[in-house]
Amino acid sequence: MSTAIRAVELTRRFGDFTAVNRVSFEVEEGEVFGYLGANGAGKSTTIRMLCGLLAPSSGEATVAGHDVGAHPASVKSSIGYMSQKFSLYLDLPVGENLEFFGGAYGLSGRELRARIGEVLDRLELRGLERSPTGALPGGLRQRVALAGAILHRPRVVFLDEPTAGVDPVARRHFWRLIREMSGEGTTVFVTTHYLDEAEYCRRIGLMADGRLVALDTPAALKRAWVPEQVLVAHGRGLLGAAAALAGRPGVVAVEPFGAGLHLRVAPGRWEPAAVEAVLREAGAAEVAVETGEATLEDVFLAASGAAPAPEEGP
Amino acid sequence: MRARPARLAIRIGAMSAKEVLHIVRDPRTLVLAFVMPVVMLLLFGYGVSFDLDHLPLAVADADRTPASRALVDAFTRAGEFDLVERIAPEDAEDLFRRGRAFAALVVRPGYGRDLARGGRAEAALLVDGADSASASQVLQKADAIARAESLRRAAAAGALAAPPVEVRTWTRYNPEGRSAVFMVPGLTVYLMALGAVLLTALTVAGEWERGSMEQLFASPVGRIDIILGKLLPYLGLGLVQLLLVVAVGATAFDVPVRGSLPLLFAVGLAFLAGMLGQGLLISVVTKNQLVATQAGTLSSLLPSLLLSGMLFPIENMPRALQVLSRIIPARYFVHALRGILLKGSGAAELWPDLLALAIFAVGILAVATARFQRRIA
Repeated sequence: MSTAIRAVELTRRFGDFTAVNRVSFEVEEGEVFGYLGANGAGKSTTIRMLCGLLAPSSGEATVAGHDVGAHPASVKSSIGYMSQKFSLYLDLPVGENLEFFGGAYGLSGRELRARIGEVLDRLELRGLERSPTGALPGGLRQRVALAGAILHRPRVVFLDEPTAGVDPVARRHFWRLIREMSGEGTTVFVTTHYLDEAEYCRRIGLMADGRLVALDTPAALKRAWVPEQVLVAHGRGLLGAAAALAGRPGVVAVEPFGAGLHLRVAPGRWEPAAVEAVLREAGAAEVAVETGEATLEDVFLAASGAAPAPEEGP
Repeated sequence: MRARPARLAIRIGAMSAKEVLHIVRDPRTLVLAFVMPVVMLLLFGYGVSFDLDHLPLAVADADRTPASRALVDAFTRAGEFDLVERIAPEDAEDLFRRGRAFAALVVRPGYGRDLARGGRAEAALLVDGADSASASQVLQKADAIARAESLRRAAAAGALAAPPVEVRTWTRYNPEGRSAVFMVPGLTVYLMALGAVLLTALTVAGEWERGSMEQLFASPVGRIDIILGKLLPYLGLGLVQLLLVVAVGATAFDVPVRGSLPLLFAVGLAFLAGMLGQGLLISVVTKNQLVATQAGTLSSLLPSLLLSGMLFPIENMPRALQVLSRIIPARYFVHALRGILLKGSGAAELWPDLLALAIFAVGILAVATARFQRRIA
């Protein structure tokens, strides 16, 4: 397999602020690469540099074989980009939006119509050509936007928070389409802050304060960042009782997780029954504790907390 | 892979087609472009007239002779003045204050007797000077009426009383002195400037505001494609506007079109290109529709209204404003339009205007394009 995206020490500074700090990674062709991080961690800035929208302050990157810093224009015709803020002209119907985006990539006439038909089928949008884009629900709108971004058959697609504000069913559907695309060889670089979605990615890069703090498959990340045993507690009054566990020997972390508690404990030091006893004693009721799987949220919390302080710009 | 020029044409075509769709889908744009100019033209043409007639006139005739009645009759006969009230001479001021009359004709006792003796007879016309422009027009009219009356009397008396020197003025191009003929070229300029600057500023700032500009920059669409794609539809819109306004002027107000239409369009094109460039520059700098609207309105409305010579003759301006007006494109367009429409001037007379407009257009488009590039990062 060849490399679709390669970033080497990629850096972008805005004045004194370093938004992206010496980030290096490679994405293989046909891979779904998830780029995770809190707001302001540098995800969008990285994408903008890779799309040729923003010149790197230092470091370099190649996308689909083109050097981003030296030839941003040639990068643009081989990628598809869905920005976080804008996706479509809401005053134009779906068909006219697609015709415009096709034209923007130099498609016209019969070829343009054929491609539009192709993406409408592919993204299951047939029959919506005349619908006013502004009246579509968020999930459909994002699918139309994705259709616009892949009309010209780009080898690499950048999706910046494509599912923000989309309902869970539509999100799942959207991700099925993303995996289909990758199955056909398209490289997908996607940012999200839904950690459940990140499980769909083959590999994940974790950004914190402008640095890439972790990069691997979801399973490997869990093993590497959460070596402790994970215990999950359910019951009532857990939040008040959590303090009784924090700080005890062998307890690495106690974090609220949904309606329950996630504990990370040194392997072999705590049995579920022992935890249950402590929580009951501290006032919780109907407590049930079982061993759990580490989630990407655990990884995210561990990795973000361990991130080294951002370096000062030179 | 298609040849590069073909792809460029496709991209510009796609941008333009999209812009046309935006325009067609947004009735506000069409109203702003076509309905507003016609409404304003009719409003200005009919409602805002500088021609004064049927002015309310009060008469204080203390002489009450056939001669004095003839004088009053001379004033009211032509339709310039309407006799509203007969008063005593000392009441004139009170009448002005209450707004009942604009002028008062006072004929003293002995007017008829003096005339009969062949000497000088005097009558006084009191004018409300609060509106100085109207007052001076009234004085001119009164002067003409009085002169005509004295000539008539002299002729009737059979005397060789014709004045030794007579000045005859002959107004060319707008012989009736109609406001509409003077106003329509100016209004055309004003409306086109406002429309072109505002619409471009709105559409380009809209792309920044929506975030779609970033999406465009991530595609092979370059800034030249964006600028040409955005400007071409509005250039077309502006020319249709020009045609519409000239047509309405010709049909509703009998404004002539004495010069060549191709020249009219050439000058219009050069002016529009400059105004579109101005709108583009504003939107590239502000990147915000609200601010762009305000800046666009101010920067097109004020100069074209005040410094173009549309309302106030440039020759009467203070020296500093005269110099300033030289960089206002509207000034050249007003001059060229009046030349083409009213005088039938051709390229031989109007090339300096065309050149000035072209220089402005090229200059401001170059600045806007350069500025566009810098802001992308």
